[in-house]
Amino acid sequence: MDDETFLNERIEVLASFGEGLNPCKPLRFRRVSGREVAISEIGLRYPTNKGMRTVHVFDVTDGGADYRLEFDTERLTWYLTREADHYA
Amino acid sequence: MREQYNTERPLIMHIDLNSCFATVEQQARPMLRNRPVVIVNRRTESTSIVTASYEAKAFGVKVGMRVKDAKKLVPGLIVLESDPAKYRYVYHKMMSIMKRYSPHITMKSIDEGAIDFSLTTDIIRNRDLVDVGHEMKLRLKEEIGRAMRCNVGISTNRFLAKTAASLHKPDGLDIIDHSNLRLVFATLKLTDLTGIAGRNERRLNAVGIYTPLEFLDTNAHILHAMVFKSILGEQWYQRLRGYEVDDVTHELKTIGRQYVLEDRNLPHVAILQRLHHLCESVGARLRSQGKRARGVLVYAKTTERGYWHARHMCDLPFFSDGAIYAQASMLFAGVPAGIYEIGVSCYELSDSVDDQLSLFGDQLAREQQVTEAIDAINKRFGDRTIHVADTLGTGSHVKQKIPFGSTRYL
Repeated sequence: MDDETFLNERIEVLASFGEGLNPCKPLRFRRVSGREVAISEIGLRYPTNKGMRTVHVFDVTDGGADYRLEFDTERLTWYLTREADHYA
Repeated sequence: MREQYNTERPLIMHIDLNSCFATVEQQARPMLRNRPVVIVNRRTESTSIVTASYEAKAFGVKVGMRVKDAKKLVPGLIVLESDPAKYRYVYHKMMSIMKRYSPHITMKSIDEGAIDFSLTTDIIRNRDLVDVGHEMKLRLKEEIGRAMRCNVGISTNRFLAKTAASLHKPDGLDIIDHSNLRLVFATLKLTDLTGIAGRNERRLNAVGIYTPLEFLDTNAHILHAMVFKSILGEQWYQRLRGYEVDDVTHELKTIGRQYVLEDRNLPHVAILQRLHHLCESVGARLRSQGKRARGVLVYAKTTERGYWHARHMCDLPFFSDGAIYAQASMLFAGVPAGIYEIGVSCYELSDSVDDQLSLFGDQLAREQQVTEAIDAINKRFGDRTIHVADTLGTGSHVKQKIPFGSTRYL
């Protein structure tokens, strides 16, 4: 049942800011361990509120695992909060 | 009988997201697509399934089934805990897409809603609604994601539009009108009709009605006098023929929350803490709707005695978490042993502005100011930033879940 790992890991993210319905697109991120993950698809992007602060959640995949990235619009920080790679 | 069917142009569209929570998870997490997935509210083997993906349903997994039973059917079943923020976002996206076609939409629950095209602009109303339905499916994919699918049903009333939306799952689009009503009903079972299950099915069976067509061919008098024994009989007669009887809004009468205990052997003190947490949650909901209450009801389900409840009505309306818990805890003193589920609700609701002046005005004013200050802080910094110390450790257990059947708190 415990097939997801819940994290609170500060990460560095390379993202593009363009046009369209989802103008912010994270492309790759680097974890604390130094490992880099290239994002192959953004599954869903949705805003959540932590009080009055808006945090955008990005559910993404690199084709091997699913990740959840959170972008805090007030503090301009990215966090990796979930990882799941139990599907094989 | 045919001439009694509603022959007007079908202008009600029902939109239903397929296996909503599971589909949203499959959209959000591409690795889950085409896999059997179920959503639960708590990660335990004995919990009930809230939603199953079509891949899981193909193995016989059903909503309400326990996880351990579903795993016997599907050994590789993926079990996920519900993620309300995600579903809330999709609900609001779906609603915004629907509102582009008509301001007259009714969201029936978090995953379904109806559009009334009779009250929109001529430009939209004069379009072929089948085209509009396909366009909405496309927008759902473009604006949320390509794994999103929905059923669309079109008819002259909400009931038949919903029935149409259930004909070809997943991703169907069907129309029911006077010309094909009998043909469609001939393919359905009584329990395929929304609102006919359990007791209503037995009522119909008792007078020899076993199919939707037999139901349709029964006159209003028999439905009133022998089946439903009320105005509901006439309403069903109209509803089945495509006339609108369900365009009504129900007044908010109770606000409540329940919780299935994470452990059946919890000490009474711990159960009271969870009850206290529920009271805080109910209080926040009450105030978010601009209401006050005069009554509190607590209930518990026990393994031995089944359902137990107690209620209390006050002379004056109340609104604070403390006032709700004071009464709930007093009532809970009589709870039997062996509880596995608890709940609390407030009733006899009134608008906050309707307060009658009280002899205890200063005390009430102070209580109101403190409550408003706490609500403002929680709104600014997040839910449960401030709460009573008694519920300090309960947040990890009593999590906020998606309310089915109501969209008031979404």
